[in-house]
Amino acid sequence: MGFKGLSESSVRFLLGAGAVAGFFLVWEFLLTYVFVFNPFFITKPSLMWGATGDLILSGELWKDIYVSGTPFVFGFAAAVVIGIPVGVVMGWRRRVAFTLDPFLTALYASPLVALAPLLIVMFGVGVKGKTILIFLLAVFPFIFNAFAGVRSVDNLLINVVRSLGGKERDLYFKVILPSTLPYLVAGARIAIGRGIVGIIVGEFYAASEGIGHALIWFGDMYQLAHMFVCILVLMIIAVIFTQGLRKAELAIAPWRTQETR
Amino acid sequence: MNRYLSQYRENEEPILGWGFIVLFLLVWEFIPHVVTLPKGLALFFTTPYHIGAKLVEMSTSSEVAFHFYVSATEFVIGLGLSIAVALPVGLVMGRFNTLNAMFDPFVTAFNATPRLVFLPLVVLWFGFGIWSTVVIVFIGALFPLLINTYEGVKNIDRVLVNVVRSFGANEWQLMKIVVLPNSLPYIIAGLRLAIGRAILGVVVGEFFGSDQGIGYLMAAAAGNYIVDVVFAGLILFMAISLVMTMAVKKLEDRLSRWRPEQVKTF
Repeated sequence: MGFKGLSESSVRFLLGAGAVAGFFLVWEFLLTYVFVFNPFFITKPSLMWGATGDLILSGELWKDIYVSGTPFVFGFAAAVVIGIPVGVVMGWRRRVAFTLDPFLTALYASPLVALAPLLIVMFGVGVKGKTILIFLLAVFPFIFNAFAGVRSVDNLLINVVRSLGGKERDLYFKVILPSTLPYLVAGARIAIGRGIVGIIVGEFYAASEGIGHALIWFGDMYQLAHMFVCILVLMIIAVIFTQGLRKAELAIAPWRTQETR
Repeated sequence: MNRYLSQYRENEEPILGWGFIVLFLLVWEFIPHVVTLPKGLALFFTTPYHIGAKLVEMSTSSEVAFHFYVSATEFVIGLGLSIAVALPVGLVMGRFNTLNAMFDPFVTAFNATPRLVFLPLVVLWFGFGIWSTVVIVFIGALFPLLINTYEGVKNIDRVLVNVVRSFGANEWQLMKIVVLPNSLPYIIAGLRLAIGRAILGVVVGEFFGSDQGIGYLMAAAAGNYIVDVVFAGLILFMAISLVMTMAVKKLEDRLSRWRPEQVKTF
């Protein structure tokens, strides 16, 4: 590319940032000068700017994020605490893997979001119901990535630790955990997306606060600018988490660059 | 005795796997016989026998067949559209660095965001009904396909490209001879991810944005606390998802024996 004095990555960044800025400008321009603007069908970036100020100044946005974030943190933490040990044992003990793999695969493949209404009726619209839903959705990526990570452990390393008189504990903490780590970070990336689905489904169903509730409420009220801001906020949160974890993955395991996102 | 033992050894994997599933179902079936459930829970409790009976009943109902037909149509149209868009765009993005740099922020953002976030907007734009679900399926399936096509094109061996060029191939021939065959394993892997997402898209889209389809049946049943219909639907989607992803996985394994094993995703 013909930009002198700029590294390729900064050219890429400029092109990307320019495309995003251009997208918003064209959007604003088209709706102001070219098409008839129907506020019940679409919104404009300038109106979204106002809505953003509105949501931030009134403190609504922070409150919604806090309300949605609490069950997310609980559910996600539970998924880590339960999912990783289960996956590690499955990867380490052949018979455990034989026993659990088909069952868990079937659960992973089924659209568990559909259980949301039942869970909410059983456990309430508050933190508890959403936490369980998020846990159910987020636990499987951890199990299967820990499983795959442990199976990818180099046998030579295990033999070395054994020959030098290492105990079962040393194997877990000195060999298995370090080589499984990149897989776990990759699993966390998938789990984040599924966890966000859990929050939103839970709040679409029955909630009086939270970012998912705000999204659908503004939609029902035809306050499209506010609704678009909620969508953008969720997109930004998702991008920050997934890209952050991607960077972490590359930092932990630079050799695993080639992988499907 | 020894013969049985060696038979068990040979088939340990399926025996243990199926054994656990059967055990789980048996325990589930017998819970209400052993403990008395609290009143609140008993209302939402069902057993595998009832779910199975419901599945059989549903499979003969013409109404369910209609809803199934709607869901299948949404799946096929949505996935078809996403393939039709993702392949050309992915190929072009892989070949031209500038375009790729410009599209990248959008692809990253839309891929990272669960498509459910767009559902209220999609319902507003496309109305309550099958087209909203089609769009959700499309958005969900598009990005894994697009990204994998693009990665496949980008990871092409430069030497092969240069050889074909030296022998005077034009861009079109280059595509046909080198680029497409080389990216095929990636595209198939993307297709596997896309199918999983498309099936989820059908469920989620119909759950909140439709009045037809199996997902709607489940949502309506859940609203009326008819628990066995919810579980029957869950099992149906699970079976479809497993069968389709495994079929594509077989194809993928054949096409790319040389690639390292990948982690399961749905």
